[in-house]
Amino acid sequence: MNYFIFIITSAYVDLMRNKARTFLTTLGIVIGVASVVLLQAFGLGLKAYIKGQFDSLGTNLVFILPGNMFRAGGSGFGAGSMGSAISFDEKDLNSLKRASDAEIIVPSTMKSSKIEALGKSEYATIYGTSEEIFPTRNLEIDKGTFFLKSDINKRTKVAVMGPKIAEKLFGQAEFAVDQKISIDKITFKVVGVLKSKGGGGFGGPDFDSYVYIPYKTAFLVNNKKSFSSFVIKAISSERITDLKNETDKILLKRYKEEDFSVAESKEILNTVESIFSMLNMVLVAIGGVSLVVGGIGIMNIMYVSVTERIREIGIRRAMGALEKDILLQFLSESVLLSLLGGVLGLLLSFLIVLILRIFFPAYIDLSSMLMAIFVSSAIGVGFGVFPARSAAKLLPIEAIRYE
Amino acid sequence: MIKISHVNKEYVLDADNIFHALTDINVEIKDKEFVSIIGQSGSGKSTLMHIIGLLDRPTTGKVTVNDQDVSKLNDDEISLLRNDFVGFIFQQFNLINKLTVIENVMLPSIYSRKKLTFDPQQKAFELLKRFGLETKIKSYPNKLSGGQQQRVAIARALIMSPKLILADEPTGNLDSKSGEIVLSLIRDLNHKEKITVIIVTHDMNVAKQASRIIRIKDGKIEK
Repeated sequence: MNYFIFIITSAYVDLMRNKARTFLTTLGIVIGVASVVLLQAFGLGLKAYIKGQFDSLGTNLVFILPGNMFRAGGSGFGAGSMGSAISFDEKDLNSLKRASDAEIIVPSTMKSSKIEALGKSEYATIYGTSEEIFPTRNLEIDKGTFFLKSDINKRTKVAVMGPKIAEKLFGQAEFAVDQKISIDKITFKVVGVLKSKGGGGFGGPDFDSYVYIPYKTAFLVNNKKSFSSFVIKAISSERITDLKNETDKILLKRYKEEDFSVAESKEILNTVESIFSMLNMVLVAIGGVSLVVGGIGIMNIMYVSVTERIREIGIRRAMGALEKDILLQFLSESVLLSLLGGVLGLLLSFLIVLILRIFFPAYIDLSSMLMAIFVSSAIGVGFGVFPARSAAKLLPIEAIRYE
Repeated sequence: MIKISHVNKEYVLDADNIFHALTDINVEIKDKEFVSIIGQSGSGKSTLMHIIGLLDRPTTGKVTVNDQDVSKLNDDEISLLRNDFVGFIFQQFNLINKLTVIENVMLPSIYSRKKLTFDPQQKAFELLKRFGLETKIKSYPNKLSGGQQQRVAIARALIMSPKLILADEPTGNLDSKSGEIVLSLIRDLNHKEKITVIIVTHDMNVAKQASRIIRIKDGKIEK
C-alpha cells in the first residue's frame, strides 16, 4: 500500500468512525467559510451593480458636484464636505457653456415630492433638467415624447416619467401619456414615459421611478433657483482632461477649491468602489473571526482524539513508526476535517448565492473559491499542528502502556 | 547479537525518591538463542524487555545491537531499527481494532523506509494462512478470540522478517489450550526458523520452554 494513500485513507476512516463528532467539528469551518465567501460574493455583486449603474449613465461624461469628495487626488471618503456644500445656479450654467470642449451641459436639480394622479399618490424623485439629459444618459422614450428645449424657457408644466412610477400611478405605463399629475399641488401634463433602465431596490438610484421636468419649471416647484449638479458631455474622450481643467478654472473664479468637484464617471466609480472594498474587507474580517473559532473547535477535538488514541500511537511507534509518521497521521486528519468544512461551506454559499441572485447579482469568483480551499487547509494545518505534535512527541513506552 | 552492559534504569518519583527499576544489568543474547526472562511482577523484567526491544532507553549503561551502540542513535534511527530488527508479541495483543486483521499484519511494512523485497499484502496473507486465519483477514481484531488475536500479533511480528522476537507474557491473557498453541508457534520460530526469541514471563512452565532462563528480582539478575 502506498504510504500517502494509507495516511489519507486511515485519516478518512478515523473521521468516519465518529460521524456526529466530525460533522459538528466541521460545522464551525462550514459556517466560517460560508460567511466569508458570501460576504465576498455580496461585495462583488455590489461592485458589479454599481459599475453597471455608472456604465448606464453614458460615456465621455464629466460630473460637477458640490463638495470635494470626488476631487481627484483629494481626501476621498470622510473628509468630504457634502453637507455644507454650495449649490450651483443659472450663472454657473451659462459660464460653463463657454467651455470649448463641452458638447452638452445638463443641469439638474433634484427633489423628492409627492405626486398625485387619479386619486393615487406616490413619492418620487423630481428631476429638474434640460431636454439634453435624455441622449446624455441614453434614456429612450417608450410612449409619447420627450419634453423639448422650448419647454424650458416657456416654463411649460410637462413631465416625462420613468416606467415604474407611471405604472404605479396609472396601472400601465401607456395610460400615463397625456394624463394630468400634480406635483406639490402644481398640475403637470405627462408627455412621455421612458423605457426601463433597471436598477433600484438595493439603495442605488431607482432611475425608473424618476420624473423629469424642465428645470425652469422645477424652479417654480422648488421655490429655489439652484442646481445640485451638472453633467457635461465632452466632444470626445480625448478631450475629457482638457474639459475638466477648463470647467475647474471657470468655477474657481466663483468658488473655492474645496467647494466643488469635477470628476469623470470612472473617478466617481473608483471612489465608490474603494469605499465598498474597505467595507467589504471589514465584513470579511468579521467573517474570518468565525473561521478562527472553527479552527479552535478542530484543535480541541484533535486533542481529544490524541488522548483517546494514545495506546494506538504507542502500538504504531512500537511497530517502527517515526515521530513524523504520527505527526503526519494526525495532521492529515485535521486538514481533511477542515478541508471537508471548507468544501461544504463553499457548497452552502453556492446554494445561498443561487437563491440570493433572484434579488441581487451576487456571485462567487474563482479567487473566492481558491481562498476558501486554501484558508480551510491552512486552518487544518495551523490548528492541527499542536495536537499532532503532542501525539508525535509521546514516548513509545509510555504510550503503549497507557490504559 | 544484543549486549546489555551495566545498565541502570531509574525513575524519579519526586525530589528525594528515586525508584531503581534495573540495577547494573549485564546480559548477552546470542544469535538464534531462545531465552526466557522470569521474575515476579514489579521485578523489572518488562523494563528490561523494553530496553532490549529498543522501546526504552537505559538511564546509564550501554546497549549494543550487532556491535552498534544504540545510545548513539537518534529517535528516527532507533524507530527504524525497531521496525526492521524486532518483532513484538504483547500480553495485551496490542492490535489496532479499527484496522482489519490483514492491515494490522501489514502495519510494520508501511513504516519501513527500506525498499521491501516482498509484497506486504501477499506476505501478510501467507503468514495468516500459516496460522489458520486465512478466513479472518477482513475481520476486525475485536471479533476474534484471544488465541486468534495473539496469532495475528505473531503474524504482525514476523512481517518484516525480524532477527529478534520479543514476547511479553504471550500466554498471559489466554486459556491454557490457546496458550499452548501460541507457545508452540513461538517455539517453532526459534527451532525451525532460527529466529532469536526472548520470552518474558512470571510462569515457570512458559519459561522452561527456553534453552536459557534469566531470573530477575528487584531489578537485579539472580546468578
